[in-house]
Amino acid sequence: MNKQIILKNQKIFTKNKLTEKVREWDPNRSKVAAGIKKGIMPNIKENDTVLYLGAAEGYTISYISDILTKGKVYGIDISPYSMQKLLILSENTENIIPILGDCNKPFEYEKMISEKFDYIIQDIAQKNQAEILIKNADLFLKEKGLALLSLKLSAISQKNHKKTIDDQINILRNKFKIINQKRLDPFEKNHMLILLEKK
Amino acid sequence: MKQEILQITKNKVKEKLEKADQKIINLSLIVEKLQLKINELTELLKIISDQEYPSIDQILGIKDYCRFYLLEDKTKINTLNLKEEKDILKILNYNIGITVEKDVKEITNKLCENILELIDTKEKIDLKIDTLIKENYINLYNIATPKIACKMIEIAGSFERLSRYPASTIQLLGSEKSFFKALKFNKRTPKYGILYNHPLIINLTNKKKAKIARSLASKIALGLKADVEKKDISKDLINKIKTKISEINE
Ligand SMILES: C[S@@+](CC[C@H](N)C(=O)[O-])C[C@H]1O[C@@H](n2cnc3c(N)ncnc32)[C@H](O)[C@@H]1O
Repeated sequence: MNKQIILKNQKIFTKNKLTEKVREWDPNRSKVAAGIKKGIMPNIKENDTVLYLGAAEGYTISYISDILTKGKVYGIDISPYSMQKLLILSENTENIIPILGDCNKPFEYEKMISEKFDYIIQDIAQKNQAEILIKNADLFLKEKGLALLSLKLSAISQKNHKKTIDDQINILRNKFKIINQKRLDPFEKNHMLILLEKK
Repeated sequence: MKQEILQITKNKVKEKLEKADQKIINLSLIVEKLQLKINELTELLKIISDQEYPSIDQILGIKDYCRFYLLEDKTKINTLNLKEEKDILKILNYNIGITVEKDVKEITNKLCENILELIDTKEKIDLKIDTLIKENYINLYNIATPKIACKMIEIAGSFERLSRYPASTIQLLGSEKSFFKALKFNKRTPKYGILYNHPLIINLTNKKKAKIARSLASKIALGLKADVEKKDISKDLINKIKTKISEINE
């Protein structure tokens, strides 16, 4: 496991290598942290590069940033309100790069991103969550690169969650190998976390 | 490299947040909440004022009710220029005249002034919203009416998104909740959303409502495209709707 992640008394912490500051990572606020609790460990290495889709105000990204002592994370979000806060975080944190954009249209931010990533993490509540991931993975994920997808089931359909999951997974199989999948209860209701590897 | 992206992102955020539609959405949210506060405070005021002057709240709107309440000498009610003056005088005649201590009266008066101040703020914001829509989205303003225009922008989340909606979506905008309910319970899906409140539709029979709503929605969709290009074609579009209505009424 990454050296910056500390598990203690059922809790998760990260330690910033520069400042030595230790912060608790709340699984009720971060689906990645919930994933760690549930045993889906994104084995992010210190020099990995991460593309984070649906960065919001940067709660999760700030912890990813701690983990990536030699790497960096690009955070993309569509909301200018959230982005204003992510900008402040990015000013103070070397390895976070914020981009205002719609993840449905990766070609709009394609020219700003000149590299391919080891990891894509996606946390976006939209009907076409699987499709968004595929579009971005096509452009930005390395061969054999990993993707961690948080699926908000109720954003896709109010009806049959089992069928929703199957549908989304079928779409994802075109591009990815499914490595692991877990529901995030009790941290998040109606959420599914899926770890995938690009074919 | 990072510095360049930071700068681009900053500029984009600034541009987005300074846009008229985002201001409209924020102000409209404030107005909605402010109205709730005003209603709430008025209920508090009435706990006491309703004993002094029962039934007056049934006749007057909140603003006039407060103005009436603050008027010290009720025999000078004519200075308020209320069209409900006669009815009020009648009630005052029957009133058994509960008196309220001076210090309590000071409190209720203060509360009344606070409510009037909030109403004043709300009216100022309403005016600002009106101006913003008129200055930026003249077709939407004229065809949909300012209130519905504002609601539509709010529901869509941005003018840009709204302008890309097809007429069928515009026709149903605001009915999303009832729409899903209808699907769930196999009821007939609703034919109109907030457009239903449009002055050209609201008084029609149900059958005609659906037809006109469809026509109106398609004209709004066209108007929105014209707003993107900053052209005013609203007169023409409104005339077409009016023709449609008279055709239907024949
Ligand atoms: C649940 S929040 C993400 C929270 C974040 N992952 C965290 O844990 O700190 C979802 C975010 O997705 C963003 N979003 C929704 N649709 C999007 C799109 N099409 N492109 C980019 N971001 C989008 C929203 O603005 C919102 O900030």
